[in-house]
Amino acid sequence: MTRGALIFAFNNEVTDYVAMAQWSAQNIRRHLDIPVAVVTDDPMAQGFDHVTYLYPEGNNSRHFSDYDATVTWHNESRASVYDLTPWDHTLLLDADYVVASSQLKSLFDIDQDFLAHRWANDITGVNDFHGLNYFGRDRMPQWWATVISFRKSDHARLIFETMEMIRDNWRHYRELYNISSATYRNDHALSIAINTVSGHVSNHPGILWPLSSLTPEHKLERTAQDSYRITFNNGENQRRHINVVGQDFHAMGKKHLEAIVASAG
Amino acid sequence: MNTDQLIKHSRARFDHAAARRVTKEKYEARMLFAHAGGMWRAGPELQMTLLTCPDSEAVILDLYENPIRINIQELLVLSQQRWQEQMNAWLVEHQQLNQQR
Repeated sequence: MTRGALIFAFNNEVTDYVAMAQWSAQNIRRHLDIPVAVVTDDPMAQGFDHVTYLYPEGNNSRHFSDYDATVTWHNESRASVYDLTPWDHTLLLDADYVVASSQLKSLFDIDQDFLAHRWANDITGVNDFHGLNYFGRDRMPQWWATVISFRKSDHARLIFETMEMIRDNWRHYRELYNISSATYRNDHALSIAINTVSGHVSNHPGILWPLSSLTPEHKLERTAQDSYRITFNNGENQRRHINVVGQDFHAMGKKHLEAIVASAG
Repeated sequence: MNTDQLIKHSRARFDHAAARRVTKEKYEARMLFAHAGGMWRAGPELQMTLLTCPDSEAVILDLYENPIRINIQELLVLSQQRWQEQMNAWLVEHQQLNQQR
């Protein structure tokens, strides 16, 4: 059974996702000792063990507060990952997920066909993620598409086929689940898919540790290999910092991560 | 970064409470490990369960509530090793945090 990571990387007006994915690939190989594939439209993409070229589906736009700009967001191909992955067991990661430990390795050695994070939290503790862990007016449980471990199996195929159906009929599902934002989001499609495939019962297994996340307003700097300094304003609006060493996290703001990637290159 | 930003940046004090919480979360995650197709949490609870099993093999529920056939001694050693390794690492990091200003 082949195993490897997969990253989707479609550049837009402001973010070089391919460079981010290249940097992430180095971290993944170093910590998880697995090959890394990329799905991209960039013919110059290098530094991966496998490259799948794909014209990005969808031209959504999304406002990124760290850039203070609304930019193109090529996010609709992700639902087709089941057919795009070259691996039997795939670790699908966002380009902005920072691998700084071997924590994800354990997901390859357990008997589960599909796992994602059910819970995310703010690594600084400043922001309450309760609202983000649910979606829609009816507060449905949200599953995060940032890290997904899946094996070629009927169960995983069914979830991704359902995601594709939701993506292709987004307007209907958006109304059904009372989602205020018009922009298609993989987190929402995944959540609806898992909910549907599970028979609308919230008992689907998830990754057992929370998805540590860093929101865009916090400052991220790399201090050494796998060491990061995060500077933020606490609840009393006082400037504080912490050091995060050897711990994976989701850098939701791209600007600081881009600077780290650029300085590493 | 200009001088004002440098001064502001240098004044950002270390947040001990946040750092302790992040460290706890990190080491709690590191207590999780895969074995025999199941996921386990290293620590006293698993080790006490294993010590109550009379035979060399047993079927117990993993963290995903799947029944898994395991070799008790194997899993016990893995759990004890990981628990102590990570607790020691946690202690070292905790002491470093306490010295930070």
